[in-house]
Amino acid sequence: MRRYIAKRLLHSLVVVWIVATVVFAVVRAIPGDPVQLMLGGDATQEAREQLRTQLGLDEPIYVQYARWMGRLAQGDLGESLSTGVPVLELLIQVGQPTVSIGLLGMLIALSIAIPAGLISALHQYEWDDYVATFIAFLGISMPGFWVGILLIVFISQRFEFLPAFGYVGPGEGIRAWFSHIILPAIAVGVPYGGIIMRMMRSSMLEVMNEDYMRTARAKGLSPQLIVMKHAFQNALIPVVTIAGILLGTLLGGVVAVEIVFGIQGLGRLLINSVHQRDFPVVQGSIVIIAVIFVLTNLLVDLLYTVLNPKIKYGDGGES
Amino acid sequence: MGILANVFARFVDTDKARVFGIRTDMLERLGLVLGRDRKAQLGVAIVGIVGFMAAFAPILAPHDPMGQDFPVLLEPQFVGAGALGTDSYGRDMLSRLIYGARISLLVGIGAVAVGAIIGMVIGLVAGFFGGLVDDVLMRMIDIFWAFPYLLVAIMLVAIFGQGLWNVIIALGFAYIDDFARIIRGEVLALREEEFTLAARSIGLTSREIMVGEIFPNTIAPLLVMYTVLVARAMIAEATLSFLGLGVRPSTPTWGSLLGQGRGFVTEAWWIGILPGLMIVITVFGINLFGDALRDAFDVRRSEGG
Repeated sequence: MRRYIAKRLLHSLVVVWIVATVVFAVVRAIPGDPVQLMLGGDATQEAREQLRTQLGLDEPIYVQYARWMGRLAQGDLGESLSTGVPVLELLIQVGQPTVSIGLLGMLIALSIAIPAGLISALHQYEWDDYVATFIAFLGISMPGFWVGILLIVFISQRFEFLPAFGYVGPGEGIRAWFSHIILPAIAVGVPYGGIIMRMMRSSMLEVMNEDYMRTARAKGLSPQLIVMKHAFQNALIPVVTIAGILLGTLLGGVVAVEIVFGIQGLGRLLINSVHQRDFPVVQGSIVIIAVIFVLTNLLVDLLYTVLNPKIKYGDGGES
Repeated sequence: MGILANVFARFVDTDKARVFGIRTDMLERLGLVLGRDRKAQLGVAIVGIVGFMAAFAPILAPHDPMGQDFPVLLEPQFVGAGALGTDSYGRDMLSRLIYGARISLLVGIGAVAVGAIIGMVIGLVAGFFGGLVDDVLMRMIDIFWAFPYLLVAIMLVAIFGQGLWNVIIALGFAYIDDFARIIRGEVLALREEEFTLAARSIGLTSREIMVGEIFPNTIAPLLVMYTVLVARAMIAEATLSFLGLGVRPSTPTWGSLLGQGRGFVTEAWWIGILPGLMIVITVFGINLFGDALRDAFDVRRSEGG
């Protein structure tokens, strides 16, 4: 097990390194000069050169790459070109709303979709299965940002305590924080929940057909025990995987939803820094997202062993 | 819909067991699903209507979608123009909505085609040759997977500039890994099948076996994947256009109509709601159709049930 984790961690490190390298190259391929954008069209040649030297942009590209990699290895993401603020600090600032919305959205989605998928599978081809499936399909087909627009038009304008704009940190009152993130979280959660529900349903149906389910029934175990202990736990495994894999999709959803609700989150930061050619910020955000993504999926794989003791990783199985 | 099943049966009634590489029994099963399943019928109907809208947009649209035919007001208005009024530039909303179907479908189908072609080649080669080739290619695919696709699409559009083809390519990259993985899995299973061994024993080259024997057998899962991803790509396109990073803003797309209408939701809610509704209905139809395809083609599930 320990060897397996070490191997996976090493593999993850390589993935992150390659992501970092590709992003470094891609960001510099974006036409447009950050210095030009910062100083405007009528700055003197001298001022431009000076700023370029100050930011280290006059050095050959491989020196810039080596320096960035060196700092990255120490967990330093560098500073924003335009404001000089450390990228990590910027990311923590904008990360708070993004993570709040993403997590709450995920929570809402899972807590509705998993029971709904379960009921749907147990009542296959009955009316509640049809209703749940219809709603799930509708959810999958909705862009999160559009759900956000609907929520603003139909909910926020009626209920003043649910603001349609901005973000307030949890430090300024849990209630205010919650009321600002609940609508964006629902918007993010709708399409996500739709996929989870479909996944839960088909996974549960598959498990119900397995041999060990028949054995359990033949043994005369109570239906509740069979469903909850044998079927549900096993059916949850692929759902957990999908929940992890969809993290990227979820994040993409959060970006657009944040824009709808005028929240200064990761999406705004990334779009702005792409426009300003703020290389370190773009690089830093993508690398951090890749790290989160890779680690989540590692965690999901490890969660397997908890959900299903039959799965053992590595070569320590026999001893 | 029973007629449809008949047409299918007639269409495939040849001594060849395949039509476009799809096994005839699968086509028959698709005909059955379409004849019986209300969900599938609804999906086909929706896709058909939107496809019709896209194909005949110039005839259906009452006005020029780009023409500023009506007085420019600060607010959208109902006066004079088509049934849905105008946008704030005095362009007819209904016409823009109808033309929007073109871009949405084109980007959806095109982007997935980009992903499918590249992903298929990678998956075929990785699965067929195995060993080191497989290892290297699939690790590459793992890396694709670690990129947040929407954010990468944003960067790619920033590099190549806005425009229809650039958006198609930028989004297409996101689907390479899906296709590579699924095709590789299929190939790994098919490689050991008797017909592959037979082909090898009569001296066919690797390329002939891959293209002639293995590839046709992967078409069914490919089609299912394709349909599901078109739905996803259409949502991604809408998101990019909504953020102002998609096709040029003057081109009517459902996403950009939403982006422009967002500022007016309080005065003219329909501008913010209707393009979104078009997206939802279309994607809904495609998803239903994809599900029907899966029911028809997915051997594993239909044998289990």
